[in-house]
Amino acid sequence: MAIPVEMPKMSDTMEEGVLVSWLVDEGAKVSAGDVIAQVETDKATMDLEVYDDGVLLKKVAQEGEAVPIGGLIAVLGKEGEDISGLLAKYGGDGAAAEAPPKAPAQAETPSGDGAKPTTIAPVKPEEAPSDGRVKASPLARKMATEHGIELSDVRGSGPEGRIIKRDIEAVLTERPAAPEEGKAAPAPRPAPRPVPAPAPALPGEAYEVVRLSQMRKAIARRLAQSKFTAPHFYLTAEIDMDKTVAFRSRLNALAEAQGRGKISFNDLITKACALALRQHPYVNGSYLEAEGEIRLYREVHVAVAVAVDEGLITPVIRNADRKGLAQIAEETRELAEKARNRQLQPEDYSGATFTTSNLGMFGIEAFTAIINPPNACILAIGAIRDVPVVRDGEIVPGKRMKVTLSCDHRIVDGAVGSRFLTTVRDYLEEPLNLML
Amino acid sequence: MAELQFREAIRAAMVEEMERDATIFLMGEEVAQYNGAYKVSEGMLDKFGPRRVIDTPISENGFAGLGIGAALNGLRPIIEFMTFNFSFVAFDQLINNAAKIRYMSGGQFKIPIVFRGPNGAAGQLAATHNTSTESIYATIPGLKVVAPSNPDDAKGLLKSAIRDDDPVLFLESEVMYGMRGEVSEEEDYLIPIGKARVAREGTDVTLVAHSKSYWIAMRVADRLAEEGYSAEVIDPRTIRPLDVDTILDSIRKTNRCVIIDESNPYASISSEITYQIQDRAFDFLDAPIVRITAKDTPAPYAKNLMAYYMPQEDDAYRACKKVMYVD
Repeated sequence: MAIPVEMPKMSDTMEEGVLVSWLVDEGAKVSAGDVIAQVETDKATMDLEVYDDGVLLKKVAQEGEAVPIGGLIAVLGKEGEDISGLLAKYGGDGAAAEAPPKAPAQAETPSGDGAKPTTIAPVKPEEAPSDGRVKASPLARKMATEHGIELSDVRGSGPEGRIIKRDIEAVLTERPAAPEEGKAAPAPRPAPRPVPAPAPALPGEAYEVVRLSQMRKAIARRLAQSKFTAPHFYLTAEIDMDKTVAFRSRLNALAEAQGRGKISFNDLITKACALALRQHPYVNGSYLEAEGEIRLYREVHVAVAVAVDEGLITPVIRNADRKGLAQIAEETRELAEKARNRQLQPEDYSGATFTTSNLGMFGIEAFTAIINPPNACILAIGAIRDVPVVRDGEIVPGKRMKVTLSCDHRIVDGAVGSRFLTTVRDYLEEPLNLML
Repeated sequence: MAELQFREAIRAAMVEEMERDATIFLMGEEVAQYNGAYKVSEGMLDKFGPRRVIDTPISENGFAGLGIGAALNGLRPIIEFMTFNFSFVAFDQLINNAAKIRYMSGGQFKIPIVFRGPNGAAGQLAATHNTSTESIYATIPGLKVVAPSNPDDAKGLLKSAIRDDDPVLFLESEVMYGMRGEVSEEEDYLIPIGKARVAREGTDVTLVAHSKSYWIAMRVADRLAEEGYSAEVIDPRTIRPLDVDTILDSIRKTNRCVIIDESNPYASISSEITYQIQDRAFDFLDAPIVRITAKDTPAPYAKNLMAYYMPQEDDAYRACKKVMYVD
């Protein structure tokens, strides 16, 4: 009995994976647990394990090919076994029915204590057949090339999932020229009806086409979804960092003496946010439109945006409110390293209840960030600046940092966000409180 | 403009040309005394006399050859086949002599001759009298094949065919002879051979159809318009040389094509048009080209089977919906 190896759902936001490289040859014997290939998801490059013993009869997906979740990657079985029936099952119209996407495990939110937050919307079933070929009309192919659209990203509405002109037009219509507030959320995939789209002027050879990485697609999709769905408002506060700067110097002197790694300002801010989140449950919540409810998480998981070559990713410090500064510092360092090496596992970057983004190292004074859904808020952290401050009628040197909280107004109102920000400020202006 | 029947438009073309050029004569079965089997040549014997309007025996191979010989010797014959089904008797004359003498003589001889008459199916005439011959003749280098769909084109194209120095097969239709239409009264009204007509402009699908099939295409376009779809209809008018450029321009706009052709489908006009499109406009196609043709069998006799055998409007309509992906 031939066994299909399907594209698994390797991250909660994954819709397809790119088969990066095959590690096993056709005809080779494999055992359950063997890694047969590497798959690039929107977040990381991951190992593809098999769950059965057998011979790798066929590599269905080619290296570099994008395969939707549930799509056929390979076939295992006994040597010489006829697999044409199985291939046919995945090849024709029945592909979607035969290979439904696995229910996203991460999307199920268990109830009770320590509930993890839902991090994604339910995944739509893919209709594209999973015989590995992207079917597209010649015109659709040409249009996709001209507009730099990856055909594997487009859902074909023609027979057998063929991508046709209107599918490309739908993608072009959906591409936001510039993010506009208040615009309705675009459907993640083209609508089946023909949409007349004005043909944009082609700049000819005047540009270079860059293939969209899985991560770039995930950033585009999730942030557009956030900005178009969650009504953002912004609260900026200036924090006196004099004491935190001094506090950190003393901490790092201790750390150095003990041979530990340094604690960064960001680690202190993570800790301050984590403690503040415990006191402001709505900021540590989610507005879930589909479920028609608000969830207030009982645990505090703070994600930290990390820039990597292809974009950015938000690894999570779990239960940051209950961890010491040294541990937060160490975990953050490890996660950032893994992120830069694309080694993060789904559990490393899923389940955040709050996110921070720090551009202080670039000298950015203040900025606004887009909420990382389904979080309620994100804190944008600016640089600590040496500024003249008036103290007791005298102008003296001071250290100030501006932070801006982006809030989803569906769950966090102005007063709630302000109170949270005040708590964060109190912690950082008197950092000894972090130790209590 | 004058409203003429199709047969009157053909007659007007012949009469005008024969008045203009004394080397032109009409020859065929029953063209003179009987005024033509379909009354196309009515009154022409009285007008031009028996030296220029000549009845022949039932001997297509003979009078086709006579015509070719006359053309070789400086005359410009119009040979009428009572139907093109009978032209098969004269196959050797058409294919080996008319088509090839100019080539084989190194251009020393030209063959300015028109073979004309009704072509294709015309109801319950059974297998041997219902053949659409355009694909058969258009495959032969050296022959020009014209197949108009309306009286105006018929007049303009026949006058051009008569003036052409190469053999032209001019394909008419029994069922269209009574069709009325506005015909230009312009003096020397010539429509160039090899130029298609965009009969109706549209943006969603291109229908290519000639002769009787053209009228199916126009009805389909009307039906689609009622549903908000815009079909472009192209009448090639000339089968060879085919005006591929006009078809390609349309495909580049609509990205979809349905061909209606009452020839048998195998190795036919629709095959050729399909080849040309995929060869030269591949990147503009959004759907496979669909053709609606006669069935790949001899024509049946029974009325219901004959209706089924011929290209059907409903099939063409559904084909358009299919290539537009709205079925």
